[in-house]
Amino acid sequence: MTSFLTAFFSGTAQGAIYALVSLGLVLVWRGAGIVNFAQMGQAMFTTYIASQLIQHSYSYWSAFVIALISGAALGALVDLGLMRPLTSRKNSQLLNSQSMRTTIPVIASLGILGVLKALAGIFWAGEERGFPSPVAPNAIKIGSTNLAITGFDLFVIGVVFLTLVLTTIFFTKTGMGLAMRASALNPEVTRLSGIKVGSVRTLGWAISGTASSLAGLLVTPRTNLSPNTLDLLLIVGFTAAVVGGLTSLAGSVLGGFILGYVISFVNVYSAPENVFIAILIFLLLALFIRPQGILGSKEVRRV
Amino acid sequence: MSKRREHKIIGLRSTLLSIALFLFFILLSQQFDPYNQSQLANIATLLIAVLSITLLTGASGQISLGQGAIMAVGGYGSALLVTRLGFSMWISFILAIFISALFGLFLGLAAARLSGPYLAGTTLVMALAIPSIAVRFESFFSGDVGLSVDYGMPPVWLTNLVGEISIEEWSLYVVLPFTAAALFAVLNLSNTRTGRTWRAVRDNEVSAALSGINIQRTKVIVFVCASGLAGLAGALYGFRGLVAPSVYPTDLSLTLLTAAVIGGLRSIGGAIFGTFAIVFLPDLIEKITKNLAIPETIGNYLPALTIGTLLLLTVILNPRGAAGALEHIRHRKKH
Repeated sequence: MTSFLTAFFSGTAQGAIYALVSLGLVLVWRGAGIVNFAQMGQAMFTTYIASQLIQHSYSYWSAFVIALISGAALGALVDLGLMRPLTSRKNSQLLNSQSMRTTIPVIASLGILGVLKALAGIFWAGEERGFPSPVAPNAIKIGSTNLAITGFDLFVIGVVFLTLVLTTIFFTKTGMGLAMRASALNPEVTRLSGIKVGSVRTLGWAISGTASSLAGLLVTPRTNLSPNTLDLLLIVGFTAAVVGGLTSLAGSVLGGFILGYVISFVNVYSAPENVFIAILIFLLLALFIRPQGILGSKEVRRV
Repeated sequence: MSKRREHKIIGLRSTLLSIALFLFFILLSQQFDPYNQSQLANIATLLIAVLSITLLTGASGQISLGQGAIMAVGGYGSALLVTRLGFSMWISFILAIFISALFGLFLGLAAARLSGPYLAGTTLVMALAIPSIAVRFESFFSGDVGLSVDYGMPPVWLTNLVGEISIEEWSLYVVLPFTAAALFAVLNLSNTRTGRTWRAVRDNEVSAALSGINIQRTKVIVFVCASGLAGLAGALYGFRGLVAPSVYPTDLSLTLLTAAVIGGLRSIGGAIFGTFAIVFLPDLIEKITKNLAIPETIGNYLPALTIGTLLLLTVILNPRGAAGALEHIRHRKKH
């Protein structure tokens, strides 16, 4: 029973982080039709910025906020500096072919990932470093019995819950959120109704950058920080997005939590070295059984 | 010109080109010291894997971030055949092609349903998961320690023929025939009816389907061919000394893709250029950093930075790679 509760709570906390990563991926996918493989590279970079600030005796929370802002800036920069010029260039012969239009941005995002990792290595050296958390990672006690949940788990779950509520309000209650949903659904019609689709898309990249930056801040107290730490998070986040449905924001969050439980239960009841294989099997199963994802809509191809 | 004759000319051209590549590598190796000779053998090995990406991405438009994992399949297949069942190295190389092609068949059946980013992500997950299988089933695959295999000693008839040869040269002589054969196969594939079918699927799936091409089957066939090539490269790569998870990291898959993109995804000459670039560029940068006395903590990351920047610049400025740029210049001179 104790191990079940441990797996459940750590699965919830991990799942919350995966949900953020997957949300970031889906935001960009819906807006730009690109899976951003550099996303966790960007997060790694902003987490290093936060870590650097804390080392120079800034408070945790000011570093936290600055990391989120630089995450947004980095996301917008990737779109404005690279992805938008790349996808808007229609006359290029290579981009004329259907399959290459999706392949080239993927390669570009891998290029960004490589450059960001190398830069982080040059600026902040390659060795792992710890990252502080504002809450002690000890198990919460009632009386003398240890509960299966730590204070840090609660902190993570709380922060992510708050983020998800804010995101939901943004998308359902504000005009900008409506514009984002519209331009994901049908860019042409949205453009005709006077919305600047390009800026809306860049905003999507910025929000995605913030979400993944937050994920980086929340995961590194447990995993430590090195240029490669967050690679695994991207893989899990991608799987979560596919399981939940790449086209659905709610699905991406759901997928994140499902993956959190899968990984946590494999960790507790099986062995940690089985996690990769579990992810691969889970991804392949999802692709075979329901390729559009749990909450995703089936792609309609017009001829 | 009749269709038959066209085929004959292509066959002759690809034969000559493959022989030319073979001789070029041999002549080049005579100029090199042992270290660079082994680097040259690396190039000849990795070129086969890069060619598999040229087939997969360049000719049929499917992207794989997991060619390194398929190389691992070939590497483990051949190493297990040699160490456990006592097969000869040469036969195990040939069988590695079939083992990884079979693996590619299963993978291709899944991949044919996927497009673009789905395929990229799935193959990336695979690149991480497959090496961990070796750790999971440790008793069979020897875990992190890996399986030690090597090219062995050069046979007596060869040393009698050309005199004493070093281990480095011998590794090059083992790899080169396979590289030339792979080049021959890829050249012929891409210039025949099959290759044209693949390009049709790449450029527009709907119009290809309307011309009577079975899209799913075509994609699976491409995957099988590319996996066979990658598996062969993986076997040759492992026999440099060790088949272990650390020999086939995720970065290997990405490096191979980078080589193909820098050289030009659609060009075989580009694949050769790109492979030379990714193998020799780190050496060159190391030399420069030593001369400029740049500290090692920075110098260690410079190759990755340079290659990443090159990849980005290629995609932004010149998506057709070095081969595309060359063609562009040639085109301009004519006018």
